[in-house]
Amino acid sequence: MVDISIADATVEQILANQKGLIAIGAGLAVGLSGIASGIAEKDIGAAAVGAMAEREELFGKGLILTVIPETIVIFGLVVAILLLFL
Amino acid sequence: MFFNRRGSKKYAYITARVRAMKSKLIQREVFPKMMNMDLAEITRFIGESEYKQDVDELAQKYSGIDLVEHALNQNLARTYRKLLRVSQDEPHYLITEYLRYWDIWNIKTILRGKYYGAPLEEIQEAVVAAGQLGYRQLVSIASMESINDIKVALENTPYHSAVSDYQGGMLSTVENNLDKLYYSRILSSVGKSKGEKLSLKFIKTEIDLKNLKTLFRTKKANLPRDEIMELLISGGAELKDGDLRRLVSLSWPDFIKSMEDYSYWSALSEVISEDMPSLIDMEAELDKYAMKYSSKVSHYYPLSILPIFDYIIRKNNEIKNLRMIARGKESALSNDIIKRHLVM
Repeated sequence: MVDISIADATVEQILANQKGLIAIGAGLAVGLSGIASGIAEKDIGAAAVGAMAEREELFGKGLILTVIPETIVIFGLVVAILLLFL
Repeated sequence: MFFNRRGSKKYAYITARVRAMKSKLIQREVFPKMMNMDLAEITRFIGESEYKQDVDELAQKYSGIDLVEHALNQNLARTYRKLLRVSQDEPHYLITEYLRYWDIWNIKTILRGKYYGAPLEEIQEAVVAAGQLGYRQLVSIASMESINDIKVALENTPYHSAVSDYQGGMLSTVENNLDKLYYSRILSSVGKSKGEKLSLKFIKTEIDLKNLKTLFRTKKANLPRDEIMELLISGGAELKDGDLRRLVSLSWPDFIKSMEDYSYWSALSEVISEDMPSLIDMEAELDKYAMKYSSKVSHYYPLSILPIFDYIIRKNNEIKNLRMIARGKESALSNDIIKRHLVM
């Protein structure tokens, strides 16, 4: 790894450094919100399958309820896009 | 520990499934309608509902009330076995312990049958293979002639300790031992987390209700104090050991009066009095109380064992009601009498 001290860094190096940090932030926003929605969907999905096993007509409702936590990861995605492109 | 006690992650599937199963139970409005049917119509009605498979399977072998009786028993066993099949880890373990009730029931039935010299077919009719002992195992135990053979057959089961001292003759002691064994096992199997504490309270309430029924029956029959104490199960929620001792030593009128001190009074107040002629209403009210209580607590903590216990109680109750209606119709009882026995 190259040791860069801020005082000696050129303007290009500092800009590149900032871009890297923004990319890490965007990655965290999508990644963590993805994990969070996964945790939230785990129980809902299990419950939906359980209910469906007994009553097939609950498939539609089960599917919709299961994907509701997907909104969390969409928020993450929006934040990531804002970070990267604005 | 051989299973993970933490969290509710194993409960989402089973509780949702059990709730869906609960929605398929016969609604309470249907029972009054069934009371206007005759036995053949009732058989056809249950043959078109969730009991279709059982009625179809058994229709070749049995007819009339026997068909209904067998179909109901088989359906109960099948439903409970399904619960065991579709659950895993902690819920599976707790359901297994809870359903040992039926093993106890079956062992009692077999011993009673042997005591009164009932033929094998009759014992077979009465067993419900919903616990850990399978139907074949139960039939093979029921076909044994001597008590010693039965004891040997039960050697590798947890129930051996309760029957090991039994030498034939009066059954009350061995039946008591079996009940106590069941409740001590289930009380020790429930852990300390929030949902499990509620389950513990649920089971303790069940013990209370059982003790109350025993108390009413024995006090009414004027049994001596020591004998009643023998029959009671300790570990209840409201009726602790001290309360039980106090209640047992009271006279019948004082006993009825002292019921006011307990929360069960709300259920009992209208049906008990000093000169109550029969205990049927009291028992039906206590069963109703148990149902209401179980459905109430199952909403307090939805991702726990409680909705499953609630379903187990409701299913058993549905079967009891159907049997009551079918039996009542067969023996031409009036609708009023049948209605009094129904728990809705």
